[in-house]
Amino acid sequence: MDMNTAFQRILILGYGKVTGEVLQYVCGRREEYGYRIEFIEHEIHPFSVTEQICATHKIPYRRITDKRELAAYLGQIEEKTLLISASNNFLFPASLVEKPHITIINFHNALLPAYPGRNAPTWVIYMGEKRTGITWHYVTAGVDEGSIIIQKECGITPDMKAYELTERLMDLAAEAFRESFAQIMAESVKAREQGFDPGRRMYRSFEVPSDGTFAMTDRPEEIYRLLRSVDYGKNNIFPPVKTTVDGQAAEILRYRKIPIDKRKDGEELLYLPLDGGNLLKIKYHFI
Amino acid sequence: MQERILEILSEYCEEALTYNGDSMMEDGIIDSFTVINVVSDLEDEFDIEIDAKYVIAENFRNKEAIIALVQKLLEE
Repeated sequence: MDMNTAFQRILILGYGKVTGEVLQYVCGRREEYGYRIEFIEHEIHPFSVTEQICATHKIPYRRITDKRELAAYLGQIEEKTLLISASNNFLFPASLVEKPHITIINFHNALLPAYPGRNAPTWVIYMGEKRTGITWHYVTAGVDEGSIIIQKECGITPDMKAYELTERLMDLAAEAFRESFAQIMAESVKAREQGFDPGRRMYRSFEVPSDGTFAMTDRPEEIYRLLRSVDYGKNNIFPPVKTTVDGQAAEILRYRKIPIDKRKDGEELLYLPLDGGNLLKIKYHFI
Repeated sequence: MQERILEILSEYCEEALTYNGDSMMEDGIIDSFTVINVVSDLEDEFDIEIDAKYVIAENFRNKEAIIALVQKLLEE
């Protein structure tokens, strides 16, 4: 039985865990709805499994890394299409967004209208927020401004790093997508306007918390928060955090919260006291 | 060394210890987030720096590949 939808085509754009989950879910519903699916990989990531998912499920896969080429490709779509921007940094041109036969939805990794723009998990950790969440919203010509389809919240634990929060948010996004899929397809979502302040801060990709530096006189808890906020493992989203040790510039290699009895002094190692009797162990090297 | 690497791996993904294939990532045994945790623990445990160029699916295809990577970095 065909489910209720006018969409003939679903095009998914993105990378990472949430994209894989969305891709598999949409694929699983293909027979019921009768749409065709296509996936575009715009940003290449070393552990991406989307190409493999596409091969397994026989989903047409394209790799278009050039922004202009991607805009041109999307601009020639003529069928009624749902474009899913699952975890994606490509900004859709207004000429595409305004086409009546194209609906674009986007996953944002914060509770809009708070923390629009890039690297939201970083900023919520750095600002010491206790809660954050995800938003699926319709895409308009402005960045992260469209009306809200669904939101889900989660807590930010005291030791949470940016990559851990990102993973949690991706899981929430996949869950929220599955919950709202039928309504999106039926075009019956009761979307709500964001109602944001036009002067709200938009976080840009080049912005780094605390300019990516700290001083030894800063509170250890603040240093720990900064380090956690820019920690995406080896993804190098931000440059290494810098500081000054004994008058010399140093770059932080890694850090860890450890119990006081695990302290082992060594070269280019710092230990700072944290609340609760723990230590912040910081490995650095001079630059 | 091997024992400690396997201990770290098992903290995040016990299945990796019994996996006999050659692509843990594609086979859904580990994901990129597990890799970040494992890399972080390996760096701390062995006081080594695992450069981003080594953090690729090939070096995390199975436990033997991870052990070989750490061995190589310790010898450098």
